[in-house]
Amino acid sequence: MSVLRRDVGEVEALITDRYLDSLLSVQQGAAGSPIGDASAGLGAAVRAVSRRLAADLPRFHPSFRFEERLALRLAEIAAMRMPVAVGGEAQVAAIRRIHPSTPDPLSAGGTGGGHGAGDDRADNRPLLVGGAVAASALSLAGAWLAWRRRTSPMARAIRAAHHLRQTGA
Amino acid sequence: MARRALWRSGRTEGAVPRIAHLDRDRSLVEAARREPAQFDALYRRYLARVYSYAYYELGDHHLAEDATEATFVAALTNLHRFEERARPSDGEGASTFRVWLFQIARNEVAGERRRMRRRPVEPIGETVIADPLDVESAAVRRDEARAAWRAVGRLPGERRQAMVLRFVDELSTAEIAGVLGRSEGAVRVLIHRALRSVARDLGVSDKAGSERGRTS
Repeated sequence: MSVLRRDVGEVEALITDRYLDSLLSVQQGAAGSPIGDASAGLGAAVRAVSRRLAADLPRFHPSFRFEERLALRLAEIAAMRMPVAVGGEAQVAAIRRIHPSTPDPLSAGGTGGGHGAGDDRADNRPLLVGGAVAASALSLAGAWLAWRRRTSPMARAIRAAHHLRQTGA
Repeated sequence: MARRALWRSGRTEGAVPRIAHLDRDRSLVEAARREPAQFDALYRRYLARVYSYAYYELGDHHLAEDATEATFVAALTNLHRFEERARPSDGEGASTFRVWLFQIARNEVAGERRRMRRRPVEPIGETVIADPLDVESAAVRRDEARAAWRAVGRLPGERRQAMVLRFVDELSTAEIAGVLGRSEGAVRVLIHRALRSVARDLGVSDKAGSERGRTS
């Protein structure tokens, strides 16, 4: 391709670009330069096809179910990336394990009370990690409720066996 | 299309004022950086555009949804990496949030296409992509629209992408250059040639822009 022909092609491309700027800004309702000025020297075929594509090619929108599901996922990711407030910067610290024999500081004389020997409740506390625990705790509560409310024969049999084991019969 | 919003900076005595492009999304991006939950505004603004781009490229709602989801998740998790750092030769608007977003979308769409090739459900042509108007025929019934899209769909990769970004997503030439990693002049030529190809395909001649009335 000769230099002259290449330059002519680039000039035509530039004119087309100006024309598209005007055409699309008119479609958007923005104040653009008049299309007539921009289209001078532009081929009729390019003009016709440009107008047709600008008018006919649709823009698609995903389903609203998808939109809200993705919005929820992004909100969850955003919550995990939430910057820490000034003064609230966290530091990694070892979790102190409370032994069952540790004396209750609020009990009279500072001995005994609280958790007696063999009481392992102190070791079963949930480990709090930001906001993630709230959701998992809710899920566990939901599962427990679902189990309690189920009326299937299997659920009834399980509850009966559980009851028998508790009563020692 | 990009709004040509410019502001002057570097107004020192005797110095030549520097023209910098103002990203229309700058305030939203800064808000989302301070508080990631604010990303929702950017998400709502660009969801349909990113989805449309993915759908035109992939021709399948589910694949387009996957690509859209991956795009926004990547944008949110990497927002701290985004910076406006276009060279003056890149043209105005070459480095805005939406250019960056469509660069991510383009990569995600390319990934989906690679996965499609590895597990093709139907034979996929080399250059002709699926026709979304077949799926959307209930919404878009006009033969002319179908023919126009098919003609665009028959264009080779970068020409097709440039046309979708220009006509559907209404990006400026400079922004498309940023997305495709080409110069602004190259994109102008790409679109001009694509329009001529579509005109030939649709039977539109230079003689008063008349058509032969061909609808494929």
